[in-house]
Amino acid sequence: MSSCHASAPTLDPDAPIILIGNPNVGKSAVFGALTGRYVEVSNFPGTTVEISAGAVDGIPLIDTPGVNSLQPRSDDERVTRNILLDRPPRAVIQVADARNLRRSLLLTLQLAEFGVPFILDLNMSDEAQARGIAIDVKRLSQALGAEIVQTVATRHEGMDDLRARFESSRPIGYRIHYDGAIETAIEKISALLPHDLNGSRAIALMILGGDDHLLQRYAAAHADSVRDVIADTQAGYDQPLSYVITQQRFTCVDCLLNQVVTANGIRNTHYAENFGRLSVHPLWGIPILLLVLVGLYLFVGKFGAGVLVDFMESTVFDEWLIPFISPLINLIPIPFIVDLLIGNYGLITMALSYGIAIVMPIVLTFFIAFGILEDSGYLPRLAVMLDRPFKAMGLNGKAVLPMVLGLGCDTMATLTTRILETRKERIMVTLLLALGVPCSAQLGVLLGMMSMLSPLAITVWGAVVIITMFVVGYLAAQLIPGKRSDFILELPPIRIPQLSNIVIKTVARLEWYLKEVLPLFLLGTLILFALDKTGALAWLEHLASPLVVSGLGLPAQTTGAFIIGFLRRDYGAAGLFHLARDGVLNATQLVISLVVVTLFVPCIANVMVIVKEHGWKTAVWVVGFIFPFAFGVGVLLNYALRLFGVTF
Amino acid sequence: MICPLCGYEYDEKNLSCHSSCPMANGCAILCCPNCGYQIVDESKSSVASWLRKLLNKNDPKVVNIQDIEVRKNQ
Repeated sequence: MSSCHASAPTLDPDAPIILIGNPNVGKSAVFGALTGRYVEVSNFPGTTVEISAGAVDGIPLIDTPGVNSLQPRSDDERVTRNILLDRPPRAVIQVADARNLRRSLLLTLQLAEFGVPFILDLNMSDEAQARGIAIDVKRLSQALGAEIVQTVATRHEGMDDLRARFESSRPIGYRIHYDGAIETAIEKISALLPHDLNGSRAIALMILGGDDHLLQRYAAAHADSVRDVIADTQAGYDQPLSYVITQQRFTCVDCLLNQVVTANGIRNTHYAENFGRLSVHPLWGIPILLLVLVGLYLFVGKFGAGVLVDFMESTVFDEWLIPFISPLINLIPIPFIVDLLIGNYGLITMALSYGIAIVMPIVLTFFIAFGILEDSGYLPRLAVMLDRPFKAMGLNGKAVLPMVLGLGCDTMATLTTRILETRKERIMVTLLLALGVPCSAQLGVLLGMMSMLSPLAITVWGAVVIITMFVVGYLAAQLIPGKRSDFILELPPIRIPQLSNIVIKTVARLEWYLKEVLPLFLLGTLILFALDKTGALAWLEHLASPLVVSGLGLPAQTTGAFIIGFLRRDYGAAGLFHLARDGVLNATQLVISLVVVTLFVPCIANVMVIVKEHGWKTAVWVVGFIFPFAFGVGVLLNYALRLFGVTF
Repeated sequence: MICPLCGYEYDEKNLSCHSSCPMANGCAILCCPNCGYQIVDESKSSVASWLRKLLNKNDPKVVNIQDIEVRKNQ
């Protein structure tokens, strides 16, 4: 191989800068950091592949789909290749994953053959460093004959340096010298291409590699001659020419890597990496998991559901808002309307009070905690830790993913049961999701309820729910002996979360949550209001009395909380939370109601998805099983506690 | 967008709402095409967009894609 500098093609003053890179290299983050945000997305002509465009320093910037090769095998790769060929760009920025330079340099060497002005962006440099990967950037820049910058796009680091290189970008000087037969073929094919064609060497190589579309596009008049050249060259190799060309490129990539990349000893001593390894360790992972759960409980349960809810309910609503608006609403001459707004089941006193004063502070703290878990890289490790107990139940490894996703939203997780292989598996995981996996909002309220309980009471609740899930899961696994499959997940490095990302993520989640739940809270309150006004609520309380009062040992008022729990489980949980704060429920009753509401029937959206995915019969079967089962477990717990004289 | 669960990078603009979802209309949830993990689309939140704008106020202005000519190639 040799190094020579090709001359840049004539530049169009309005030519865009093109962003290119392999999938998962942080290309979108670089695009976002350069342009500020996505601006416009449109389909690339003739395809369904979308491209995004923006501008940086007044220069158009096009973000292309992630590619592994410019010898296209997919629509994404074809579109990226065509963008390069259609119009000579002002510059190409290749975003490379500094942690996996081998994959990126393969693309770099292909781009070298296009002869376009070029900048190599080594993104995620911090993570490469954390993994003990040291890249001699100066030496790589000299070897390639190209501008190179290091960035951490998620933190906007290195972006000014990247911008500053736009003007000095130049075609890559490095050229691969392939085998003699291939070089001869490149020369022959290039001679048959239009003379003013930019990137003719790259095009000749792609045609040689079997790209018939380019052959028709650039050398249709000489198609037979080109095919003869290809056939003659292929005769000298056992493998397809595209494979031979790629292997020779890899040889050059490995040669470059040997010169510029060293893996030092940092890997074994880095705290974050050690923590990441310990967090999935079968033994040490458990105390770390418990620490995370205790932290979650203290932040969400004690701070969110205690301090924040107390402030919102006792101060904001009871001292400021209600005393201010009650006299105004009482001016309304129709008592029915007054009652509808600020009565026992009033839209303000119940729906907004529950939604804003109780649930919002809890989910706010939960979303903050969940955002930290996500951005720190611990969440996938939590999934790995959960994989073990699920496998102990005998469940297919693939079933773990929907269960973990259920902690976010059971409705969406039900959709992901499609990845399971048999209908029985899908139905059983749907059942387990609906039965015992609380969604994020419900989990937040449950943590709030736990904050009122002693450690012993929380242990009893945890033991009952875990044993119930284990028994149901085990029985399900016996009914479904299907083969086990591995749970494969790429573990990202442990990182320190960025405060701004957590704030933005939490705000977006909170806004979405309020938009989604407040209408349902209002609907649930309207139903209770109507039941109360018509006397049906008293009748239902009387009807449910043998179950709620005698069976569960709970006060009759909890019937209302269970009724609204049919709309959303977190709303029902918020109702029980409110009763407990008012002293209507004692600690023992709170544990029993906590168990029932954890195992309670899925929310209405989840039922609709079950109907859509599995049909009415299955949905009725799932709800028909869970409803008596949840109350049955509650009744058993009540009698067991009474029998052993346990109170909390 | 990089999935917080599996680390898969995807373009959220290429996603469409799940056809089976009963709340697909105006849905603000992004589902990772690789593992299904759901996160809220920050661009659909007006407050989050305002916050992001505030935090990224030094970023350059953007132009419309119509100003950028991408010629049809086939």
